[in-house]
Amino acid sequence: MATNPSLDRVQRWMQALIQDQGTCEEAVASERAQAEISADVARTVVLPSKTLSAFERLDIYREMYLLRMEEALSTDYPALKHFLGDEEFLRIVARYVEIYPSRSYTLNRLGDHFPEFVATLSDLPKREFCHDLARLEFALTGVFDAGETPPLTPEAVRAVPQQAWETARLKPIEAFQLLEFDYPVSRYLGFVDEENPAPRRAPKKTWVVAYRRNYHVHRMDLTEAAHALLSALASGETVGDAIVSVLTRKWRPAVKEKQLFDWFRDWMAEGLFQAVEVKS
Amino acid sequence: MANNRWGYPDLGFGIGLRSVHFEHILNNNPAIDWFEVLSENYLDTGGRPLHILDQVAERYPVVLHGVSLNVGSTDPIDFEFLKKLKALGKRVNARWVSDHLCWTGVTGKNTHDLLPMPYTDQALRHTIQRVRDIQDFLERPIALENASTYLEFSASKWPESEFISALAEEADCGILLDVNNVYVSSFNHGFDPKKYIDRIPKDRLVQMHLAGHTNKGTHILDTHSDYVIDTVWDLYRYAHRHLGGASTLLEWDANIPGFDVVHGEALKARQFREQEDQLISAEELEEIPAYGD
Repeated sequence: MATNPSLDRVQRWMQALIQDQGTCEEAVASERAQAEISADVARTVVLPSKTLSAFERLDIYREMYLLRMEEALSTDYPALKHFLGDEEFLRIVARYVEIYPSRSYTLNRLGDHFPEFVATLSDLPKREFCHDLARLEFALTGVFDAGETPPLTPEAVRAVPQQAWETARLKPIEAFQLLEFDYPVSRYLGFVDEENPAPRRAPKKTWVVAYRRNYHVHRMDLTEAAHALLSALASGETVGDAIVSVLTRKWRPAVKEKQLFDWFRDWMAEGLFQAVEVKS
Repeated sequence: MANNRWGYPDLGFGIGLRSVHFEHILNNNPAIDWFEVLSENYLDTGGRPLHILDQVAERYPVVLHGVSLNVGSTDPIDFEFLKKLKALGKRVNARWVSDHLCWTGVTGKNTHDLLPMPYTDQALRHTIQRVRDIQDFLERPIALENASTYLEFSASKWPESEFISALAEEADCGILLDVNNVYVSSFNHGFDPKKYIDRIPKDRLVQMHLAGHTNKGTHILDTHSDYVIDTVWDLYRYAHRHLGGASTLLEWDANIPGFDVVHGEALKARQFREQEDQLISAEELEEIPAYGD
C-alpha cells in the first residue's frame, strides 16, 4: 500500500469517503477506501485545522454530498417527497445514490432511474402509488427539457383537403408524453401544486398527456379511449386507421363521433401536434 | 479597459443569471452590465431556460461559468461535454468560459462538489496538460476560479495562490479570482488573504467574484446565501488596487432575494472600486514633487 499516495489514489479515496454513508471512521476503514489508501496512512493524508480534526474536515464534504443529491431529486420529485415526508424521502435518496450515483455533468440526469428504483422498494408504503407518482414527475422533467417544436397552425390544418385527412398522419410535438397509471397521480400532483389536502389514494386507472406549450409544462387528463386514439396517432397510424381502431372497440363510457371532434379540437388548441403529413 | 493578456474586456458589474429573476429581466430590461450563466443548466435542454438565455444573450453580454469541467480529475477529459459547452458558447456569444480549479469526480462518477486538489508537482503537471487540452478543444483560453476549500492535504508543497498562478502561466489560462473564496479559505486554513492576492499575476486576471457565506464558527461555508461581508469588500478593494480593474460578478444562489437587491449588492462593487480609484489618484498626486521642490 502506498504511503505517499498518487493523485489518482487520493481522488478515488476521497470520493469513496464522500459517498460512504457511515461515519468517517467507518468510511476510512471500508474496503473501497482501503483499496486506495490504508486506514493507517489515511490519518495523515489530510491536515487538521486549528479548530477541526482531519476527519471533521472530511465530514464537511461528506455531509454536503447527500444533501446536494437530495436537493436535486426533490426538485424533480416534489410531490413524491410531499407524499413520503422529508425523512423517508431522504432515506430513499441515500439508498438510491448508492446504486445510481451521478454519472453526468448535470444533476438534471440524477433522477433518471428513480421511478424504476422506487418500484423495487419492497418496504416502501404505498409502493405502487409512489411508482406511478415518480413516473409522472419524471415524465414532466422530460417534457420540460424536450426540444422546442412549433405547433401546427390553424392555417396548416385548414390547408389539408377534407378528403386527405383519412390518410394523413399527425406528428406530435417533441415535448409530449402519454402516460397510463393505476392510481390518480395527476390529481394528487394537482393537490400538491395547489397546496390543498391530498385526495384518497385508492387505485384507479388514469390516463394523462404531458406536454409543453409556450415553454410551460401542462398535463391533460384523458379517458382511456382518448389515450388510445392519441397513442395510435403518436405511433404513426393514419388519422383514419386510428379513428377506426377506437370506434370499433367498446369503451366505458362509449365514444361518440361528436366526442372525437371535441378531442381533436382540444388537442389542436393545446398545440399537441407539430405537423400533418398528407399522402401525395 | 482590459488588463489581461488576451484583451478580454472589463464588462463592469454583473450578477449570476438565476431562474427566479427571469421574468423581471425580460420584462424590465434592467440596466445591468452583464450576466454570468451556469453552463450546465443550459446544456441538454430545449426548454424554457435556454429560450430565456437566448433572449438575455441578445440584450446583454454573457459569460459561461461551469462546475463540471473536472479540470483536476484523473479521469479522462469528457469531450462530449466540451463539445456541448463549445456550442453553447458560440450560441450565446460567450465573452469567455470559466470553471474551477478543482476536481468533481473520478471513475465516471460526479459528486457535483468542487473538491480540493493536493497542491503537488504531480497535480500541477497533470492539471497543466488538461487545461491545455481543454483550451485546444474549446479554441479559447479559459479562466479558472479558486474554489473555497475546507481541507488541506499534507502532501501539498505549494500554497494555493502559487499553484494557481503557476498553472495559469504554464497552461496559459486566465484566473477568475473569487475574493470571497480567498477569504473563506484563509479562514479555514489560516493564511493571509492579502498575501494570496499579491501572488496573483495581474495579466492573468480575467474576472472577480463576490458572494456571501455562512460562518459556522469552526469554519466558513461558501453558501452564496447572504450579503458580502465588510472584510470581503475590503479585500475586493485591495485586489482592485493591486491587480487593477476586472469584470466583477456578484453570486447569490441560496435564499435568493429580488433582482434589485442582488443587483444593488453588485453595484456596491462599483462604488468601492470608484472610491479606491480616487484614493489611488490622490496618492499618485501626492507623490508628484511640487514645482520648485
